[in-house]
Amino acid sequence: MGTQSSRTGGRVSGIEISNVTKAYGATPVLDGVSLSIADNEFVAFLGPSGCGKTTLLRLIAGLEEVDGGEIHINGRRVDQLAPGARGVAMVFQNYALYPHMTVADNLAFGLKNVGIAKAEIDTRIAEAARILEIGEYLGRKPGELSGGQKQRVAIGRAIVKNPDLFLFDEPLSNLDAALRMRTRLELAQLRRRLKATMILVTHDQVEAMTLADRIVVMKDRKIQQVGTPMEIYIRPANVFVAGFVGSPPMNILKVDVDVSGAVVMARLAGGVFKTGVGSAGLPVSAHWRIGLRPETVKVGASGDGLAATVEFVERLGERTLVYTKLADGTPVTAEDAGTSRVKMGDPVGLKIDAGSAHLFDGEGVGYHAPESGE
Amino acid sequence: MSASSQKKLREIAILATLVVLGFIMLVPLMWTVLLSLKSNSDLLQSTANAFHGPYTGENYAAITKSSGVFRWLMNSVIVSGLQTIGVLVLASLAGYGFARLEFPYRDQIFLLVLFGLAIPEQAVIITRHQLFTGLHLHNSYPGLILPGLAAPFGVFLMTQYFKAIPKELDEAAILDNASRFKIFWKVLLPLTIPAQATLGIFTFLGSWNDYWWPLISATRADMFTLTVGLSASQINFAQTSGLGYLMTQAVFAAVPILIVYIIFQKYIVRAVAGAAIR
Repeated sequence: MGTQSSRTGGRVSGIEISNVTKAYGATPVLDGVSLSIADNEFVAFLGPSGCGKTTLLRLIAGLEEVDGGEIHINGRRVDQLAPGARGVAMVFQNYALYPHMTVADNLAFGLKNVGIAKAEIDTRIAEAARILEIGEYLGRKPGELSGGQKQRVAIGRAIVKNPDLFLFDEPLSNLDAALRMRTRLELAQLRRRLKATMILVTHDQVEAMTLADRIVVMKDRKIQQVGTPMEIYIRPANVFVAGFVGSPPMNILKVDVDVSGAVVMARLAGGVFKTGVGSAGLPVSAHWRIGLRPETVKVGASGDGLAATVEFVERLGERTLVYTKLADGTPVTAEDAGTSRVKMGDPVGLKIDAGSAHLFDGEGVGYHAPESGE
Repeated sequence: MSASSQKKLREIAILATLVVLGFIMLVPLMWTVLLSLKSNSDLLQSTANAFHGPYTGENYAAITKSSGVFRWLMNSVIVSGLQTIGVLVLASLAGYGFARLEFPYRDQIFLLVLFGLAIPEQAVIITRHQLFTGLHLHNSYPGLILPGLAAPFGVFLMTQYFKAIPKELDEAAILDNASRFKIFWKVLLPLTIPAQATLGIFTFLGSWNDYWWPLISATRADMFTLTVGLSASQINFAQTSGLGYLMTQAVFAAVPILIVYIIFQKYIVRAVAGAAIR
């Protein structure tokens, strides 16, 4: 699954997480999680609250102890080491800047603790200040900075340490929407400049999709899928990933399947649709569901396609999201042009592009149309 | 009447009320100062003489010669100062421990400390007296200072304050390679300064004004604190004679605490306002 950590000059570089388990008392939080992260890779842990993503990050940082399994950073086993000895730097959700110290002192604190010479500290601070454009704030205290400036200082505190691994714990969630977008771009640029291994924990799929080389989708103490953003979007491993990634979420509808042909035919509310999923190798399952992204369900005139009634309309400018209900009450989100004139209560016909549909068996495992060239 | 003039009138009314209340508060103080500036023979005729001259500094000259007030002042400064420092050190360490460290029976021990808040000093005074007699601590500075170091309120206050500091700061410092002591000393303790100021002021004022324990423990005049010393003077100088002298001692005794108040005014107001909000 995914990229393996690479071997350069005999030295294993990257992060190896093997079979890590963690429980708080009787409550399990992580259940045998394994993951490889390549050198200089940017990985996002994505999942809903309580899925274990933050715990996994904290285990890597050493802020929590693993109950079982091993964590290696650049070939060195670190799960038994003190947090400060692991070569990681973390940017906290609420920045965690020392309020009584100036920005410069905040940046210098960790370096002083390991006995780095003052001249070297000054050089590193100057470099971080240049990269993050925080030079003019060095003499200020965190209380005198805006949220965005605090965020930069928090990142600066990580940069000056020259760590093997950067950990970001929901770093953008305390910023307002406009600033979040700007900081996201800056983070992407920073990443290109620093060329370091980074892990980002987020519940915001846009952050994960735009920043990460690979996304680790987590739920219920386990990794659900690891893949590039587009792999996750186009070929979701299971019904959870399919529903969690993408906004608005994928339509998941109960269907009957016919596997007598080369590709699966799906029967849905009176209509039969030819999917792109091959029949060969499909398991026997009594309960099938079809997954349709809203952009593959277009709104047409009543009588043209699957009959539905418009429940709600969201006009986004360049496109319109139309929330409909089928005759049997199943909700389906469809898309229409930005200039759409449909309104609530209108009867419409839904035209489904079933060729890009996904199928999910009774266990929730996903099956997709083969990628071009497959 | 326009809204702005109504508002102005209300402000004037509030101000006037505050001036009157302030004046009422000040009357006993002014009365004390005026009495201290009168000769004892004048006051023997009538204390109303305090409202007019001639005023004299003879009482102030007299206390420098005959009174033990300087010694008592020094005792009070030593006892209150050391008690305050001791309480701050112990309460900070205990507060950090209760707020941040994991150890067996932590919550039960914390509850035990809080029980200290519910036990009045009077309930343990005989046992404490016996204990200090056995340890030969009466009429000594340790005897006066030690009981005040058991400060459950201080431990409670500091525990709550440390708890209110986000744990991410500890974690950031851990990742910054700071030792546990360094995290306490360099990261957390500086953030508790407002609480330290509140606790320090309350402890100092409480210790300075304490009468009950010094009265029991200090039986020799040279170990009296100001409160005990002044009250002993009152017995020596019945109010009919030596009233000016007595008032001079009172003024003299009030000066240090006044200085403390002036220096820490900002913190005292904040501490009292904070206590009111909580």
